[in-house]
Parts: sequence; C-alpha cells; structure tokens
Amino acid sequence: MEATTYNYKVVRQFAIMTVVWGIVGMLVGLILASQLIWPDLTFGIEWLSYGRLRPLHTNAVIFAFGGSAMFAVSYYIVQRTCQVRLWAEKLAAFTFWGWTAVIVLAAVTLPLGITTSKEYAELEWPIDLLITVVWVSYALVFFGTIIKRKTKHIYVSNWFFGAYILVIALLHLVNSAELPWILGGSTSAWYKSYSAYAGVQDAMVQWWYGHNAVGFFLTTAFLGMMYYFIPKQAGRPIYSYRLSVVHFWSLNFIYMWAGPHHLQYTALPDWAQSLGMVFSLMLLAPSWGGMMNGIMTLSGAWHKLRTDPILKFMVTALSFYGMSTFEGPMMSIKTVNALSHYTEWTIGHVHSGALGWVAMITIGSMYYLIPRLFGRESMYSTKLIEWHFWFSTIGVVLYIASMWIAGVAQGLMWRAANPDGTLTYSFAQVVATMHPFYGIRLAGGALFFGGMLMMAYNVWQTVRAGRVVNDAPIPQAVHA
Amino acid sequence: MDSGTLSGIITVAFIVVFIGIVWWAFSTRNKQRFEEDARLPFEDDDDLPAKQGDKQ
Repeated sequence: MEATTYNYKVVRQFAIMTVVWGIVGMLVGLILASQLIWPDLTFGIEWLSYGRLRPLHTNAVIFAFGGSAMFAVSYYIVQRTCQVRLWAEKLAAFTFWGWTAVIVLAAVTLPLGITTSKEYAELEWPIDLLITVVWVSYALVFFGTIIKRKTKHIYVSNWFFGAYILVIALLHLVNSAELPWILGGSTSAWYKSYSAYAGVQDAMVQWWYGHNAVGFFLTTAFLGMMYYFIPKQAGRPIYSYRLSVVHFWSLNFIYMWAGPHHLQYTALPDWAQSLGMVFSLMLLAPSWGGMMNGIMTLSGAWHKLRTDPILKFMVTALSFYGMSTFEGPMMSIKTVNALSHYTEWTIGHVHSGALGWVAMITIGSMYYLIPRLFGRESMYSTKLIEWHFWFSTIGVVLYIASMWIAGVAQGLMWRAANPDGTLTYSFAQVVATMHPFYGIRLAGGALFFGGMLMMAYNVWQTVRAGRVVNDAPIPQAVHA
Repeated sequence: MDSGTLSGIITVAFIVVFIGIVWWAFSTRNKQRFEEDARLPFEDDDDLPAKQGDKQ
C-alpha cells in the first residue's frame, strides 16, 4: 500500500541534534577563544589543549551541527517537494545513528590526539570508512526519494542537495585516500594512517577538499535550505526560479576550482595560484545572484521583516552570505592575500560565513521546522526568538569586526621592516597587540552562544507542550 | 596541439555551455514550466496544526 504520510521521525531526530551539537560545538569554540586570552585555562591537560580542541570545534560545528541540520532539512524538503515518503526508511534511520556515531567517535578520538592532521578531514581511517557507508546510504535515500517522486520536476532545493551529496562523496573519497599503518606491518597504533599524497600534491588535494567543504557543505547545501524556507516563511515563491537555475550551475561549476587560493605564495605552481584567484573572483557573480534572488523574494512583503524574527534570521543570514562572498574573492587576490593570509582576518571571514550565514539560516529554518515536527503552530516564545536574533547579530558583528582589525594589524606588523631590513616587531609584540581583540571576540562568541541557549530552552518548551507528528498527510491530488 | 590552444578551446566550450544554460533558463518556451516549479513548495498543505484541525 502506498504511504499516505511523510516520515518526520528522522527529520525530528536530526533537528533536535542540530540544536544539541550547535551548543556543544560553539561551547568548544568559546573555550578555544578563552585559551587564546588565558593560555593556562585548562591547566595543561593535554586532552584539552588548544591543538586538540580546535579540530573538535571545527568538526562539531561543520559536520555535527551543520551536518545534522542538512540531514534534517534535506529529508524534510525532498519529501514535501516530491510529495512522497522517504525511500528506504530503515536506511534513513541508519544515517541518523551512523552519523551520530561518527560525531561521538570524533569527540573521543580528537581530544586523544588521534588525527590525520588534514584540516576538516582529521578523522582516522576506521571513521572515514564509517562516514563513507553513512554517506552512500544518505545518497541512496535521497536519490531514491527523488526517483519515486510524484511531481513532474525536481524543485531547485533538491538540485542543490543533490550536488552537495555527490560532491561531498567525491571530496571525501579523494582527500581521505590513505594508507593504514597496520598494512605496513605495525600492530601498535593500528588506527594511524598516512595520506596517499605527498608534498605539494597533498597540499593541493587537501585544499581542493577544504575549499569545497566550504563550497559544497557550507554553501551549496545551505542554499538549498534557503531556496525552500525563505519562500515558505515569506509566503511567496522565490523571486526568480530561472535565476536559481543559472545560480545552481554556475556556482557549482566555479566553486570546484577555487581551492588553490588557500595556497597563495606557497610551493604550488604560479599558474595554479592564479587560476584559484581568478575562479574565486568569478564566484562573486553567482554568489550575489543567489543572495539577491533570496532577498528579492521579500519584495512586496518587506513589512513582514518588522514582526517576524524567523524571517529576520533568514534575511540577515543572506546579508552575511553576501558580505562573506564579497570578502572571500577579495582575499583571494594575491596582493590582498599577502596581507591577510595566516592572520585573524581569515578567522573573521570564516565566522562571518559560518555564524552569519550557515548558523543563522539554520537557526531560522529550525524555528520554522521544529513546531511543525511537534504539532505546534509556532515556537513556545516568539519573543525569545527575537532576543536570540539580536544576541546572534550583535555577537557576529563583534566577532568579525574585532577579527578584521586584529587581522589587518597583525598582517601589517608582520611585514613591517626597518630600513636595515630587520623586522620592526617581534612575534610576541604582535601577540600582545591581539590581546584586547581576543577579548572582544570572546564577548561576541559568548553572545552568540547565549542565543543558542535561549534556542535550546525555547525548543525544549515547544517539544514539551507539543506532540510527535507522524501523520502529516501527503497530498493525494497532484497537479503539475 | 599546445596547452594554450587546448585551454582556449576549453574556455570557449565552457562559455558556450554557460550561454546555453542561460538561454534555456530564460527562453519564453520554458517560462511557464519554471513558474510552476517555483510553486512546488506551496502545492502541499502547510502542516500547521490549525489547518490540519480544520480538515478533521
């Protein structure tokens, strides 16, 4: 018999874990920001040292918080825009438990110092294999659902999700190609492995991966989220669906080649550096096309922004998306990169994207989604969403403004030279200059984190007063 | 063929593909199709409890 309801169980599980992992990941971020101010904060305990917590923070916010959010919204949107129940639901349930297992394993192994030392791909080979199995299952569930759809066409969000799922699979398989030490005959540290690549090739593969993790995990995927939830929350279709088609193809094609900008002025061949810069500059066009498409969806409904904090979250997210996708191409220009690279400016840029864009569009979408998954008309408190919005916005602004100033100062001080060619400032002098800015950054991060705690309370109250919805009906009469 | 010629050919090919996509997306023939696609998120009942309650 054909299913008459949607599968909300797996969506609900991932949605709740999004909030949980968001809090965990951002808390680790706060600890790191504090360690930069007070280096002895964790009493020299090696498991809590900066070098071990830092990959825990990045993995937790990208793959645990962002990843859970993506699973939740892609399962929700693919069902609702294809008007069918998920294909292979047991496999979908497995993706939840499998992905959660990956996160827990990461949380154990990274503080223990078990790492491949590849940025955003630190997890060792046994976990890499588990990721592969979970991701293939995810792809089967997602594309299986697309195949059995009842609608004629595939909604643009699903195109973005499809590209994200395929490209992440490709990135993971290529970049994580590694040789487990155990195959070399060693039985101690059986979990250790070495990259299949060496030298500059390893660097290039790593940053092809690293930038596309930003491009396809944190951008393409979340644009799919944007293309569904902004129209829904604004109550009107996307400003230009045709622009979204051009946006999709051009963004995904260009992103693929921008990775070398992470390796300006390194051993990477000059032509490859320039190629990375040119593709990064070209990215501005599709990025801003997409941003304007989202924002213009509100034309004629601007008044809703005044009263609807969920919409505020989404539109502010797009504004930060626009800012960081302007900043990124600018920073990829070699002469700018000569100043900005390895400085706090980069950290500011990343967080303008990660907190301003990814987290805020996710938070807005979760506020839309969670009441619907728990049979409520709205979140427990709209006022609290409003407070959350202002905490987040002010938090991000403090964070990125302090890191801009710190980064530019840092870059200028590093390159300053006396007439006789010696450096004007010692490294320690530059570190001392950073001190007040680290304080402002911590304050910004703490505000953002405080907002997440409000969200957790709001979600808790919503869930408590709600009921688990497992009977959302699939419309039977299909037009189109 | 040297690498310069090859990159020239590839660049032209990509430009042609891009123009093709833009032409396809904005041709009047496909206008209605894309307008219908844009309404896909709205073909469904919004699953707010009030609306579900109305039906029961």
